[in-house]
Amino acid sequence: MPGLEAVNPALTAAPDDTGMARLWAAITGGRLTGYLLVAPTVLFLAVWFLWPVLSMVTLSLTSRSVDGVMVEGFTLENYVRLFSTDLYFRILIRTIRIAVLTSLIGALFAYPLAIAIARGGPTMARVVTITIIAPLLVNVVVRSYGWQTILNKTGALAYLLKSVGVASPPVLLYTEWAVLIACVHVYLPFMVMPLASAIGRIDGSVEEAARVAGASRLSCFLRIVLPLSLPGLAVGVSLVFSLSAAAYVTPQILGGNFSPLLGTLIEQQILTLNDWPFGAAISTLLIAMVLITNLVFLKIVNRRFARWAGGAR
Amino acid sequence: MTATVSPWLKAIVGVILLIVVAPLVVPLLMSISDTAYIVFPPRGFTLKWYGEVLANPEARGSFLFSLELAAIVTAISLALGIPCAAGLTRYRLPGQDAILGLILSPLIVPLIVTGVALLQLFSLLGSRATFAQLIIGHTVICLPYVIRSVSASFVLVDRNLEDAAAIMGAPPHVVATRVIWPQVRPGILAGAIFSFIVSFDDYPISMWLADGDHFPVPLYLYTVIERSFDPSIAAISSLMILFALLLVLVIEKVFGISLARLAS
Repeated sequence: MPGLEAVNPALTAAPDDTGMARLWAAITGGRLTGYLLVAPTVLFLAVWFLWPVLSMVTLSLTSRSVDGVMVEGFTLENYVRLFSTDLYFRILIRTIRIAVLTSLIGALFAYPLAIAIARGGPTMARVVTITIIAPLLVNVVVRSYGWQTILNKTGALAYLLKSVGVASPPVLLYTEWAVLIACVHVYLPFMVMPLASAIGRIDGSVEEAARVAGASRLSCFLRIVLPLSLPGLAVGVSLVFSLSAAAYVTPQILGGNFSPLLGTLIEQQILTLNDWPFGAAISTLLIAMVLITNLVFLKIVNRRFARWAGGAR
Repeated sequence: MTATVSPWLKAIVGVILLIVVAPLVVPLLMSISDTAYIVFPPRGFTLKWYGEVLANPEARGSFLFSLELAAIVTAISLALGIPCAAGLTRYRLPGQDAILGLILSPLIVPLIVTGVALLQLFSLLGSRATFAQLIIGHTVICLPYVIRSVSASFVLVDRNLEDAAAIMGAPPHVVATRVIWPQVRPGILAGAIFSFIVSFDDYPISMWLADGDHFPVPLYLYTVIERSFDPSIAAISSLMILFALLLVLVIEKVFGISLARLAS
């Protein structure tokens, strides 16, 4: 092949094997091997992840006529339907409400645990970490079912409340409350771990100095630990929000048919009603919600925080 | 660092930990109840529900299927993930950020969406190979964990040791097996454990792709919860909880990996 030597002189160089290999490595910067190592994974994910997800997004912009035939061209019809139908809009609002409350309540529970892990000494840190992480190994169906046994009419909570004198304890099972409680429980580890690592990175002597200078534990927390742990909180909130917004099993087991979230709606639209374009639209909306949350919390909050911390130094 | 924790905080942490373990302990209590329905506190004592569950061929079948699926998925994830992690950490590749973005994005896109998107693609392709579909779906969500944890250990590999070995005359395959392998082994092990657990516990991918002959444990558990009300559900749940405890022990004692490390 003429001209090849111009592209790659190594190919026509002296038949010295190592010399050629070296020259080739110098030209490609050893990158070819790197790309070859990465290629199978990239190919696998491109075909079995990127392609299906993108085609789902495309599908959400199509529509079908009443007899099920695909209509030509793109339309926003599915999204309009999602936002203008009262039933669907209520499910969307409920999903956002549950995801926001799960993140907030989760953060409230996670702070004491994270402080205990980061500041409580090796034994305490170990006990708390294991107790928080171990449930992650228990199947989410089982964890949700565990809450069912606590929250149902003859459950542990009703028994406990009755024994302390509450005549007719509220039945929380199959309400939004039950979904919220179980979501906080299931996703708590994802809030605790980033918080604990953020708090662990705070220089303990800062807190010590504040305490020596007379700051109360509360103001020490509010003015040192809380602001300096914000990057961890941002990671935790975006994780928990994303996971609970897309939760399916937990709302299904604890909310029954009374408080479905978007995940349940996708399942119904596709498996029961066979309305793929509409199911695809809800799926796309979920992706958008999760992406926006991640962007907002991880990029903007972190950037502001970096500037803020830089200014403080 | 002498920062101490106040007794109030300790008390609060104690209460929260109690709430955290409650939904795992209550099913254990209820599973020994000698009643035909779930009741708290349990009445009487019996192990018959456990006998029933263990004798149930459906439960056993699902359990074995999930083990098989998780093992295959973990093997494929490692086969794809280890070279990929090596390529990402040992070479400076233009477009690396885009590649990394693609690899980690299955962690961001909701699993339920990934699952339904795959179902759509498979039906578009006219695929009926359920087992292969489940393997592909699970591998998509396990790969990021494997690559993340293997990459983390590749980054820590001391290049000087490799150079030293090479200078002393070790051929590349010896450097790979005697110098690099011992350093990345813990990361690979952690990745494998992660992948196994993610696959074994997956619901939102399997719910779209599984069928009656390929029915992973989480789906089976869900159908049992939906259709029956006797303490046998509590017994299955208890078995799953004990299985998780066993897993914790194996991870910590046999593999010597602390659970905290796995989570971070």
